[in-house]
Amino acid sequence: MTKVIANATNKGGEGKTTMSIMLAEYAALVMGKNVLAIDLDPQANFSKYYLNLEYDPVYKGGKVPPLHPEYNPDEDVSWDGRSSIANIFYGEEVIPYPTGFKNIEILPAHSNKLQEAEAVTKNEVLEKVHLQLKRFVQLPEVQNEYDFIVIDTPPSKGPLTIAGIKACTDMVIPSQMEEDSIDGIYGMMQLWKQETYARPAENPINLAGILANRVREVSLHKNFFDQLKSLESTKDYVIDKKIKERVIYGELRVKEDRPKSVFELPQDHIARKECESVCKIIMKRIYNHG
Amino acid sequence: MAKKSFKIRGNLAEALGDTVSSARNNAGELHVEIIPLRKIELDPDNPRDLALSFEDLYQGILKKDDSFGRKTAEQEALASLTKSIKEQGVINPIVVYKYNDQYRLIAGERRTLASILAEKADIPARVLTSRPDQLKLSLIQWIENIEREDLTLWERLRNLEKILNAYAEAKQKKATEISPTELGQLLGCSLQQGVNYRHVLNASDELRKHIQSGEIKNIEKAAFIAKSPATLQSTLTQACLNGSTLSELKKISRETPSINTKPGRHNAQPKINLGSTESTKVAKTIIHTVLEHESFKHLNDRFNSIRWDDHKSIAMAFRQLVKLLEQA
Repeated sequence: MTKVIANATNKGGEGKTTMSIMLAEYAALVMGKNVLAIDLDPQANFSKYYLNLEYDPVYKGGKVPPLHPEYNPDEDVSWDGRSSIANIFYGEEVIPYPTGFKNIEILPAHSNKLQEAEAVTKNEVLEKVHLQLKRFVQLPEVQNEYDFIVIDTPPSKGPLTIAGIKACTDMVIPSQMEEDSIDGIYGMMQLWKQETYARPAENPINLAGILANRVREVSLHKNFFDQLKSLESTKDYVIDKKIKERVIYGELRVKEDRPKSVFELPQDHIARKECESVCKIIMKRIYNHG
Repeated sequence: MAKKSFKIRGNLAEALGDTVSSARNNAGELHVEIIPLRKIELDPDNPRDLALSFEDLYQGILKKDDSFGRKTAEQEALASLTKSIKEQGVINPIVVYKYNDQYRLIAGERRTLASILAEKADIPARVLTSRPDQLKLSLIQWIENIEREDLTLWERLRNLEKILNAYAEAKQKKATEISPTELGQLLGCSLQQGVNYRHVLNASDELRKHIQSGEIKNIEKAAFIAKSPATLQSTLTQACLNGSTLSELKKISRETPSINTKPGRHNAQPKINLGSTESTKVAKTIIHTVLEHESFKHLNDRFNSIRWDDHKSIAMAFRQLVKLLEQA
C-alpha cells in the first residue's frame, strides 16, 4: 500500500514545508520511490518550490498553478490547462505536474480555491472536504502510480488540515523547541487523537514522529527537547535527531531553473548528513508500521 | 551567573499525557463504517419488542401472518423515521458487531428497519469486533435509547433490569442490593433519577401491570407509588389512573393515616425503627439492662470495648446488639 504522509502543525514557521520537501526528496532520490507531492496550503510554498506558479489575476496575492506542460489548447477544449489539488473538492479531475526530479510529481495549490475549501462551515459540505482527499489517495490508479505521497498542510486546525490527517497513513509534527511551538504540538495531537478514535482500532493512524526543527545551541531549545524526550507521553514520538537552524536550508529554497535537493549536496555535507539521519528514523517508523 | 533553565509548563505536560493515554485507550471507539443493510441480522440472544422482521420488509408482510395487524401497525409507526432517512440519511450510526461475514445488531433496530423501508442499500454503523459482554451490551442499548421519546416506561424498565442483572452478576451481588448511587453512576443519570428507578424496579405486581400496559407512564409518579406503604398503593394507583398529578398523589398520602409498622418496599422485610436519642446515658441504660437479663448475660464480653463518650461507638454497639437479639 502507498504510504501517505501528512506534515501538520497549526502554527506557522515550524517547518512543515521543509519537512515535506525533505521527505519527498529522500523517498524519491535516496529510496527510489515514486512520489506524489500534494500542497494543501493556500500559501503554496511547497508548490512554488517545484513549479513556477503564477499570481492569480483575480485574487491578488493568491497563486495559481502554471499551464500544464501537456496542455494543448487546440485539443483540450474543456480544460483551462491548470490543475490543482483543490479541484478534488469541486469534483473536478486533477492532473499531476512533473517536477525537476524524475520520481517526483506534484499536485499544486490554488490559493483561492483552497481558501474557499478551508472556509467551509456547513456540515454536509465540511464532511466532503474532510473525506475527499482520503478518497482520492485511495483510488486504485493513485495507489498504483505512487509509492509515497507527501501532503503539506496549512498552518491551522481547519478543514484542509483535517483532510490531510484523514487521508494519511502516517503523520509527522515538525516543531521548534519554543513555548508557543510546543502548544502547537499539543494542538496537533488533539487532531491525531480524534483521528485515532475514528479509525478502526486494528488500523490506526501512525504518529511517525515529532521532529525538533530549527534548533540552536541554546538552553531554551535544549531544555524543551530534553523534557519532551523524557515525558512519558511524548518520549516515544520525539525523533532523537534534530534539524538545526542553518542558512543552507534557506539557500536551497531559492531555485534557479530547478531546485537543488539537500540530498544532492556533497555526501559529507553536514546538512545532508543531518537530514539523512532524521529521514532514516522517520522512514523506519513509517515502514515498520502496518 | 547561573545558567538559565526552562521548563514545559506543568499543565501542558499533563495535558499531553492525557491526550496520549486517551488516544491509546479509545482507539477505534468512534469508528464508523458504511455497511450493507442486507448483511445485518438480529442478535438471537437479545430479546426484542418488535414483531416486524427484516424479511417482512423485503418481502412484504404476509396476509396469513398471525401478527399481520401488529406488524402493519409497527411499520406504520416507522413512517416518520423512514421519511427523515429518505431525506437526510441516518445521522446517528447504529451499533453492530462482526459475526462471521454478517453483522449482528446491538442498537438501532428501528433505524435499520426504516432504512430498508427508505430503500437504502447501506447504513452507517459502529462496528465492534466481537460481541460485548452482557453488561456493556445492555449499557449501549440503554444509552442509545435514553434519548428516544417513543420509548415507554415499561421498555426502559425492562432494559434497566437487564443492565441491573448483568451488573449484579459482574459484582457478585443481588440485583436488589444495588444502591441508587451505583445505579446513577452506571447509567450516568442523577441520584434522584437513580432513586426513582430503584423504587420503580421494586414495584408491586399490580403497579408493574399498569406500567406495562402504558397506563402509568410517568416515572416520578410510579416511583412515588412504589415507595409508599403497601396499604396505600392501590388507592394511589387508582388515583394515578384517574389522572392525579404527583402533588395530588402526595396529598392523598399525607392525609391517609399511616400505620407505624411501615412495610416499605416490595419484597423488603418490614422494619421497626427503634428511635434515636442524643443522650449517651439513655443508650447505656438500655444496653446494660438488656445485657443484665439472664438470657443475654453471655453476650457481655462482646460489649466491653464500647467508648461511652462516643456516639458512633455506642450506635455501632446498639446495632450489633439488635442483630444478636434477632438471631437469639
